[in-house]
Amino acid sequence: MGIKDLSKLIAEHAAGAIKENEMKNYFGRKVAIDASMALYQFMIAVRQEGDFLTNEAGEVTSHLLGMFHRTIRMVDQGIKPLWVFDGTPPELKSATLEKRKERRGDAEKNLEEAKETGGDVEIEKFSRRLVKITKEHNDEAKKLLKLMGIPFMTAPSEAEAQCAALVRGGVVYATATEDMDALTFASSILLRHMTFSEAKKMPIQEFHLAKVLEGFGMTQDQFIDLCILLGCDYCDKIKGIGPNKAFTLIKEHGNLEAALKSLDKKKYQVPEDWPYEAVQAYFRAPEVAAPADLTFKWEAPDEAGLIQFLCTEKGFAEERVRKNMEKLKKQKSGPVQGRMEDYFKAIPASPKPSTSKDLAKAKLAEDMKNFGTLKNKRKPDAKSPSKPSSAKKAKR
Amino acid sequence: MPASNTVFEAKWDHASTLKKVIDAVKDLIGDTSWDCTNTGMSLQSMDSSHVALVHVLLKSEGFESYRCDRNVSMGISLNSMAKVLKCAGNDDSVTLRHESESSVVNFAFESHKEERVSEFELKLMNIDTEHLGIPETEYDSIIKMPSADLRRTCADLSQFGDSVTISCAKSDVRFETSGDIGTGNVRLSARGSSDKPETEIAIEMINPVSLTFALKYLNFFTKAAPLSDTVKLCMSNNHPLCVEFPMPEVGYIRYYLAPKIDEEQDNE
Repeated sequence: MGIKDLSKLIAEHAAGAIKENEMKNYFGRKVAIDASMALYQFMIAVRQEGDFLTNEAGEVTSHLLGMFHRTIRMVDQGIKPLWVFDGTPPELKSATLEKRKERRGDAEKNLEEAKETGGDVEIEKFSRRLVKITKEHNDEAKKLLKLMGIPFMTAPSEAEAQCAALVRGGVVYATATEDMDALTFASSILLRHMTFSEAKKMPIQEFHLAKVLEGFGMTQDQFIDLCILLGCDYCDKIKGIGPNKAFTLIKEHGNLEAALKSLDKKKYQVPEDWPYEAVQAYFRAPEVAAPADLTFKWEAPDEAGLIQFLCTEKGFAEERVRKNMEKLKKQKSGPVQGRMEDYFKAIPASPKPSTSKDLAKAKLAEDMKNFGTLKNKRKPDAKSPSKPSSAKKAKR
Repeated sequence: MPASNTVFEAKWDHASTLKKVIDAVKDLIGDTSWDCTNTGMSLQSMDSSHVALVHVLLKSEGFESYRCDRNVSMGISLNSMAKVLKCAGNDDSVTLRHESESSVVNFAFESHKEERVSEFELKLMNIDTEHLGIPETEYDSIIKMPSADLRRTCADLSQFGDSVTISCAKSDVRFETSGDIGTGNVRLSARGSSDKPETEIAIEMINPVSLTFALKYLNFFTKAAPLSDTVKLCMSNNHPLCVEFPMPEVGYIRYYLAPKIDEEQDNE
């Protein structure tokens, strides 16, 4: 899942690309959330005595409870969540999915064994590996969102890719997911820990793609090549190449093709029929719905519908549902606080570019920034910074 | 005696102004960087939620002596700076000094009878500041009023609600709020005063304006009231409010605040 060791590499080479923020600082922001990743997380995390939460009829409710409460947590902080569900996985992913199936098979066997030998820890471990999000779970989650008045969409293919397109199209501020490949799909901003439980007290981790590329000294294409070497969801990785080796390979050779040519084939075995070119192409231009054609509305919740669905059908405590619904309603009324960046444009801070190398780096960062914000709605009058602080102006 | 590699040195005759400047901004922005050039010291910083922006300018003319050989940017925690300045008497002179490539900034306080000299070193921080370009704006309405009036108005209204709607017409300006316990409004009418210009309320209106702001931030801004008898509110529809506290010959503190926007408009 995601890109192996990418966050580690970013922390090492582009520490400035990671910011930590309290959740409340994201009020008023529209955020696209990778629903499939989050639902999986809820199935794993929202449990009681090691098993799923269920209603009296024995139907699983972990996904609904998680989605209900975490959505309300965001709404309560003034965030506007937009949930994006996976569509049909791309063909490229079939090999990976096949492998996951195999592993499920193993886990199932192991679970059976564990049940016989009776180790509780073992049982829990393997049953967690068996977690699968079915179409039914997805449909129920969508039904819940509809009743809550929270917008959602189903991506044509991968949810992360669709989220990234929404960010670049200026529809939302960021992608919220734990999967780092949203950056590979060129999401300008990625937020982690957005759907975590409040009890974890995890600050939101914000990754800026432009700063990652600046820190790495790479273009987006080179970054994609690096991610393929690190290991992604769409093809095998080359055994024996760790994050540091992958990083130096791309830095030294400029791209994956050249890096492959230079490899000692005896030492590193490139998988047969390695479809890296198709993966490159997919990361560059995944199948997504055009953001310009999409509109989303955050509406008032359907109270009676929510009570019927959550309490009558799914056995949630009515008092708690009502209390949380108040939070949903509260956020619907009243004006929304604007932000400074909506009016004043940031002046790219180029820290003393003295050498030509630094200058090139700064230029690259600048380009990436434009790439990321090109379609953002900007007020025309904000384009001409008239009074930048004099010191910065002098440096530029 | 400044060392030979001192690149920046600035001296105030009295610590009181600097103390007030820091007290006026430290609760809104924690860590920031002071940009020093040969024309003066300035800082520009947003609060952590990026709703407000503070711009402070201290012009070189406002100092007793001022020297800046090359542009320097000093990352400082304003809370630490406030701690250091607490050690200075209001009438003590303050000298700020920074040496080339040094990771500290030096503060020297001297009482005017010169019997007490204290020196402090504050560690500088690496601050990744994001500067915003503030566009030159022709404001629709500009209100000049006593800063004490603004402070009182905001404090009074905060007891009732979180937001205030400021509406400016030709001859008066209204501040309105509503909350759970009720509503409140304050109307200030233009009034001239030839002998006491600091008590004047003057309204220059090109277009009528009505904007809504979070009172929480306005209450942060009015902490600058001790620096200046008058304050200027500059407003345009769908534009941040600018609250300026001018300090004649010294510089100014300008606060910018993003308005609250009606949800309906936002969704369209």
